Amino acid sequence: MLMEKNQVENGFIINLSNVKNTTQLVFELSSIMEHPDVKGKNVCLKLGSLDLKQSQLLSIKALIESMSATLAFIDTISEQTEASASSLGIMISKVDENAITEGITPEAHEEIKDEMVEVKTETGEINNKQAVEIMADIKLPDFSPIETTEGIEDIYDETSTQELSEIIPSDNFESADFTSLAEHEGLIPKEDSSKYILLDTGNVLPEGIEENSEDTSSMPTLYLSQTLRSGQTVSYEGNILIIGDAHPGSEIVAGGDITVWGILGGIAHAGCNGNITSKVRALKLNAIQLRIAGLYARRNDTLNVPYVQKSNEFSPEEAQIEDGKIVIYKKLRRD
Amino acid sequence: MTGRVIVITSGKGGVGKTTTSANIGTALAKSGYKVVLIDTDLGLRNLDLLLGLENRIVYTIVDVIEERCKLKQALVKDKKNPNLSLLAAAQTRDKTAVNAEQLKEICETLKEENDFVLVDCPAGIEQGFQNAVAGASEAIVVTTPEMSAIRDADRIIGLLATKEEITSTKLLLNRVRPSLIKSNEMMSVDDVVGILEIPLVGIIPEDTGIITSTNKGEPIVNDENALAGKAYRNVAQRILGEEVPFLDLDEPKGFMAKIKNAIAKLKVKV
Ligand SMILES: Nc1ncnc2c1ncn2[C@@H]1O[C@H](COP(=O)(O)OP(=O)(O)OP(=O)(O)O)[C@@H](O)[C@H]1O
Ligand SMILES: [Mg+2]
Repeated sequence: MLMEKNQVENGFIINLSNVKNTTQLVFELSSIMEHPDVKGKNVCLKLGSLDLKQSQLLSIKALIESMSATLAFIDTISEQTEASASSLGIMISKVDENAITEGITPEAHEEIKDEMVEVKTETGEINNKQAVEIMADIKLPDFSPIETTEGIEDIYDETSTQELSEIIPSDNFESADFTSLAEHEGLIPKEDSSKYILLDTGNVLPEGIEENSEDTSSMPTLYLSQTLRSGQTVSYEGNILIIGDAHPGSEIVAGGDITVWGILGGIAHAGCNGNITSKVRALKLNAIQLRIAGLYARRNDTLNVPYVQKSNEFSPEEAQIEDGKIVIYKKLRRD
Repeated sequence: MTGRVIVITSGKGGVGKTTTSANIGTALAKSGYKVVLIDTDLGLRNLDLLLGLENRIVYTIVDVIEERCKLKQALVKDKKNPNLSLLAAAQTRDKTAVNAEQLKEICETLKEENDFVLVDCPAGIEQGFQNAVAGASEAIVVTTPEMSAIRDADRIIGLLATKEEITSTKLLLNRVRPSLIKSNEMMSVDDVVGILEIPLVGIIPEDTGIITSTNKGEPIVNDENALAGKAYRNVAQRILGEEVPFLDLDEPKGFMAKIKNAIAKLKVKV
């Protein structure tokens, strides 16, 4: 296969050089690979300084291949990644530094798209538009808040709350705030204002465990490529990455972030050791309960459907704590 | 207050124990009684789904037993009726996580503050059954008019008879289809009662509404128009000691049929 510095025959370059850890990498990659145009294409990954072990690189390659695409070559400045690639027989090549700038904005795309990516369709036609659209999805910050949790609900006996050592203060969330926020983000709010509702659980963190903000990207990551079924639990002190669905009735408990490359239908508890910066990400966030550190939220009853239909149209969602609430961000896909 | 602890059991799986627990519990709570439902089907819990409460469960019976929370914290209040609450089973554990003694203790505590404690028993006659029965003083045996279910119910009734604490065992016949009984393809209520020889507490018709209500997480007793809902409301009233005639599931058409039906009913020994 002949490859120019900044072109890929019948394919495109995915710039992931801003990505800090493998969880993020797979998440970013997944949202791009979900795009129907990716099928049958050659993919080049620009990985920057991220250190990837052989097994990690192999699973990334498998991810790409599972979407019927091919990993053509990688661009890396990490010695570790380079060594992993050569022992796996993955080609290493350099992407022209001028071709890809840091933190590409949609406006910048217009200017640089010609030199940045060149996509050739089967018929040999060049289709830059497609390529730019796919690239636009790569940027991390274009998650926009769509839903926030609302209110706090007392689900227990009146008497029980008195015994709790700590009660999360009631949250006077106003729907007006949400609307203006959504408007600001250029989003139309759904008629149903909140997808998750905080539970009044009191302090659920085990004794002696305090809230902290340790950087989750420095935690180790557990990879799992399987469907998690009802009754199955995965717990790990670091981040958890599941390639597959987590069915209702399953439970994922992580010290750091949880990423499900599939439908998340069970319980997900990120930052179980009090880490409030932990996030829960999934291609489809349908968790019956979302738990981050000591905050527990239940899915709104209006969304209490026992299953989610599979489709090709998933757009990744991410949940995190903001101002004592669990906020869900949806990744926008441009059509 | 000393409430009544009733175990809902069957022997055979899938005959309607969980459906019965959810509906009787809801009906009793609607009549103003304080009710706790306990799901003892560890690892295969369903009661929360039938009540639409899955998203509210934080602690389970295993958390109570292993002292990760207080009993009251684990009681999840029903969405509609504050008189009703659920103590959920653990989904990620199995029957060996609890023992009979522990369950008995939980029932003892709960009956002090509730009028009714209803225990939804798992299928089988092993530890799950032994656990569920441990704290109960009354039992409702659920069966369908099928030979295999009746055989298993018979076995359960025999086992219950050996338990001194169980002072009352009643029969609930589920999924009755009058048209099949009429065409002699299904055992009649009399036939089943004749075999099992225990008092009848309810006859529940086959009702497709039960499937929709299960999927919605809303017990069918809340549906005023459903026949199965009415049948379950009647069961609740009988549990409360009222004399309620059994539903006429089949509306006979002609005059002669009505007379025949009346005669047939006289034969039911209750
Ligand atoms: N009267 C009825 N009419 C129609 N369907 C019914 C009726 N009663 C129960 N069912 C259906 O039968 C199935 C089994 O019911 P349920 O789960 O209550 O049984 P179970 O005895 O608790 O089962 P298990 O032994 O697995 O715990 C369910 O799908 C339920 O919807
Ligand atoms: Mg059951």
